[in-house]
Amino acid sequence: MSQLYEGKKGEKVLFMGNQAIARGALEAGVSVAAGYPGTPSSEIIENLADVSKEANMYVEWSANEKIAVEVAAAASFAGLRSMCTMKQNGVNVASDFLLHLVLSGTRGGMVLVPCDDPGALSSINEGEARHFAKLLEIPLLEAGDFQEAKDMLKWAFELSEEIHNLVMFRSVTRLSHASGSVELGEIPHTEPQAKFVNNGFILDPLEGPIVSAPVGYKHGLQQDKLKKAEELFEESPFNTYVGPENPEILLITSSGATLYSREAIHLCNAKDKVGLLKLGTTFPLPSKLIAKHLKTTDKVLVVEEVLPFMEENLKVLAQELAPEVGQKTFYGKRSGNIPMTGELNPDLVATALATLLGDAYSPQDQEYQTKAAQQVFFNAPVRDLTFCPGCPHRASFWSIHNVLAADNREGFVCGDIGCYSMAFLPSGFSTLKTLHAMGSGTGVASGFGKLGQFGLDQPVVSVCGDSTFFHSGIPALVNAIHHKSDITMVILDNSGTGMTGFQSHPGLPVDAQGNESPALDIPTICRALGATVEVCDPFYPYKTQQTFHKLLEAPGAKVLVLRQICALSPEKKGKKQFEMSVDEDVCLGENCGCNKLCTRVFRCPGLRWDEEKKVATIDEVICAGCGMCAAICPSGAITRKEVA
Amino acid sequence: MKLFAQTQLLEDVQGKGLCVGCGACVDLCPYFTTYRGKTAMLFPCDRETGRCFAYCPKAEVDYDEVYKARTGRAFDGTPIGPHLETYKAKAGEKTAECTFQCGGTVTALISCALDNKMISGAVLTDSEGRMPKPRLVRTSEQARDCAGSKYSASPTLSVLNREAKRGVRNMGVVATPCQALAISQMKMNPTDKPDFEDPVSLVIGLFCTWALDARKLEALLAEKGIEGKIIKADVPPPPAEVFVVETDQGTVEIPLSEVREIIPEGCSICPDMTSELADVSVGQVEGEAGFNTLIIRTQKGAELVKTAISQGYLVTENLEGDKIHNLATASANKKKRALAKAKEMGLLNTPDEEGRAAMRVSEGALNKIQP
Repeated sequence: MSQLYEGKKGEKVLFMGNQAIARGALEAGVSVAAGYPGTPSSEIIENLADVSKEANMYVEWSANEKIAVEVAAAASFAGLRSMCTMKQNGVNVASDFLLHLVLSGTRGGMVLVPCDDPGALSSINEGEARHFAKLLEIPLLEAGDFQEAKDMLKWAFELSEEIHNLVMFRSVTRLSHASGSVELGEIPHTEPQAKFVNNGFILDPLEGPIVSAPVGYKHGLQQDKLKKAEELFEESPFNTYVGPENPEILLITSSGATLYSREAIHLCNAKDKVGLLKLGTTFPLPSKLIAKHLKTTDKVLVVEEVLPFMEENLKVLAQELAPEVGQKTFYGKRSGNIPMTGELNPDLVATALATLLGDAYSPQDQEYQTKAAQQVFFNAPVRDLTFCPGCPHRASFWSIHNVLAADNREGFVCGDIGCYSMAFLPSGFSTLKTLHAMGSGTGVASGFGKLGQFGLDQPVVSVCGDSTFFHSGIPALVNAIHHKSDITMVILDNSGTGMTGFQSHPGLPVDAQGNESPALDIPTICRALGATVEVCDPFYPYKTQQTFHKLLEAPGAKVLVLRQICALSPEKKGKKQFEMSVDEDVCLGENCGCNKLCTRVFRCPGLRWDEEKKVATIDEVICAGCGMCAAICPSGAITRKEVA
Repeated sequence: MKLFAQTQLLEDVQGKGLCVGCGACVDLCPYFTTYRGKTAMLFPCDRETGRCFAYCPKAEVDYDEVYKARTGRAFDGTPIGPHLETYKAKAGEKTAECTFQCGGTVTALISCALDNKMISGAVLTDSEGRMPKPRLVRTSEQARDCAGSKYSASPTLSVLNREAKRGVRNMGVVATPCQALAISQMKMNPTDKPDFEDPVSLVIGLFCTWALDARKLEALLAEKGIEGKIIKADVPPPPAEVFVVETDQGTVEIPLSEVREIIPEGCSICPDMTSELADVSVGQVEGEAGFNTLIIRTQKGAELVKTAISQGYLVTENLEGDKIHNLATASANKKKRALAKAKEMGLLNTPDEEGRAAMRVSEGALNKIQP
């Protein structure tokens, strides 16, 4: 048992931000938590699932984010505290339900925890959930450090119950995934009872039916809740100020940028000139508190990541307050002092501060920078962004690429979200030609597949992971089948939500809490929908390619399930099916007509080119023993022996 | 022969639409493959010279060099090429009945060569559905299954390459003129491979005016509503102007004008109608059903024909002078058209500074052909 649940009040522990959030939920007495895996949010549900039985919680990995919010909302409607987690894209998926939920209101405290990814370190967009708080007209909280991540999350439930509406608690990668010291609080040991009261007066939000109509009336209620939240924010202990009474520059920041700002002020040695107003309640802004601080200076620097969300809200407020506080000059993203894309860091903030202070700031010594760059260039090995050794996706894309090339009709693949997104790179033989949201590969393919009447005669293929299939692949396939769209959907079934760390999904016989669960069979679902379905093992490329060729020739929507467990899955990790070896007498090296097919084209990291012997070799340490390279060597020099 | 590799081959042949899908570049390495009658590149290869380019009959072919190596004589533009004798021929009693295109001469010669172990196997073109499917046959029974013209471009040489790589030697090949040319280039070991062994000991060449794009032919037949198994396809001599398709459900005629549209561009620059680089060449005899024209070109070809006649596989008769004349005229016209077309495309004797040529032909031959 971890400190997450066992840790006593007053203990100081080192927690990752997501653990701090999970502990905050436990201290708040949350009964239900639901989410969909997505970096950097996944560890919150994972941590809660681990202690769910002891903590008398229900925790699930939902099929998608919209369903996660719906599941959590049900608990709130029944009077329980609930939360849901997701990465930033998940809020887009859930937004349809959310827009109704915030009108109908909630009962038990309910908190939405999106984790944004500035810099898109593990994402393919840089969208932010903050903007949804404004769109949804709900309070937005942002923790500035690890302690706050726990304490503020707990407070978010109290706020939600106070205003009877959803509260957004937004985290970012550097808060969710970094670790810091957290002093624990008490976990309550209560036995909450669920009851859905619904027979009250139709307009009674607490005892009547929970609906978003009549919209005009409910919308008015909702805005009153937001006003109440703003009043509470005026006194919030999560909004803090450090600095001189009349700073030369007032630096306003929030979230992970708080840490960068503190460090930047230190780097510029400017604590006597710069005041740091750290906001934990970023929407709606507490106007009285802001007015108080605006009065103290003329220059304001707003430091936040990605788009100028807080900056623009502050400017509107400052204009309203101008008669009271005077005209202020704002610096930040619109002025070009803070970048509009990517993550921030202390150097970027220090550079902005120094410019405004009229000082010079050089992040690093020029000589040091040159030396460091040289070290990297000469000593660090060149590395691809690539699939792991033994990854079934490499084998799948090998076959998909080769079949489309041989087919020679300029066929293409519409990609989707997962490890297999990397197939737009050389490691996946540059096979993907479109890449957007989850489930979009098949949706986009469904559209391409109807362009025959306008002369499009290229074969259309989509790829979709097993978890993605349940998330949003099914409706796209339904659409393609119903409209007789000519597509071949390849489902890369590696038996888990691989990219985010093997979270369960409806296709697996186990749920988030480790309970035995009915596993839904993907080929059976696709057949029931009316698709022609074939199932192959991608580690048998000949059969896979023959089957894929046949499907490509057929009209309508077809499905090829390529099923092989992920090399990193708990049941496979460390177990080699085959012992691989290269016969140095058979490997023709540079004389082979293949021109190093294995290491130049196939590029499994488990294969190395021996520069001295001029032959291919197996890297015993990282080879996963999948056996695939034996199938691609044109000379038959790579052999595999079944491990007993 | 000017040597280049994959990049140039893609540019010169695939890029200019000249690929006829003969299969010469396929299965030498893992990068060229063939599927449903089309040659495709799977991955780029950065070698500077390659057999793919060297064997290709549409890329930098030096006709003098190839003809000298194969026949001992320079390419002089003679209409039906170097030869020893010409006959009319048909299958004899020893050759079992099957669907012959005309007289069954090819099947007779291959059967004779296989039965007498003059070759270890023969690379022939079978069908799979409506697609040509080359394969290596080991017996005369198997050879008879492949009888009849497919009229579509077939990647026959891919099987030759594959089997040669597996170590099969002493193979016979039934080849179209472009394929006979590719085999002749292969026999020269142009890339000086140290372990090279010629895997081909007999080439039976087919007369060919053009072949058809296999996929487009399949689509055309589908468009015409032609169903059932195709038994035979044929182009009767002028003035018929039709393409006749015989299926197990009846016979259909398609106007030749429609069929000409699906001839690969690469055929239009081919100067060879009678497979001049084969050991023996076989074609139709104009206006005489049930017989083939047989041109014996090499000593090896002459020996095979002699054995085939003596053992009853083949029956020959003299070929009338007017028929030889007509064949020579048609053949000379093809040379003239092909060279004119290649010249028009800038692919004949292209000066180095202007790039690569598809074909290089001597001044003397040009004077004779007069494109």
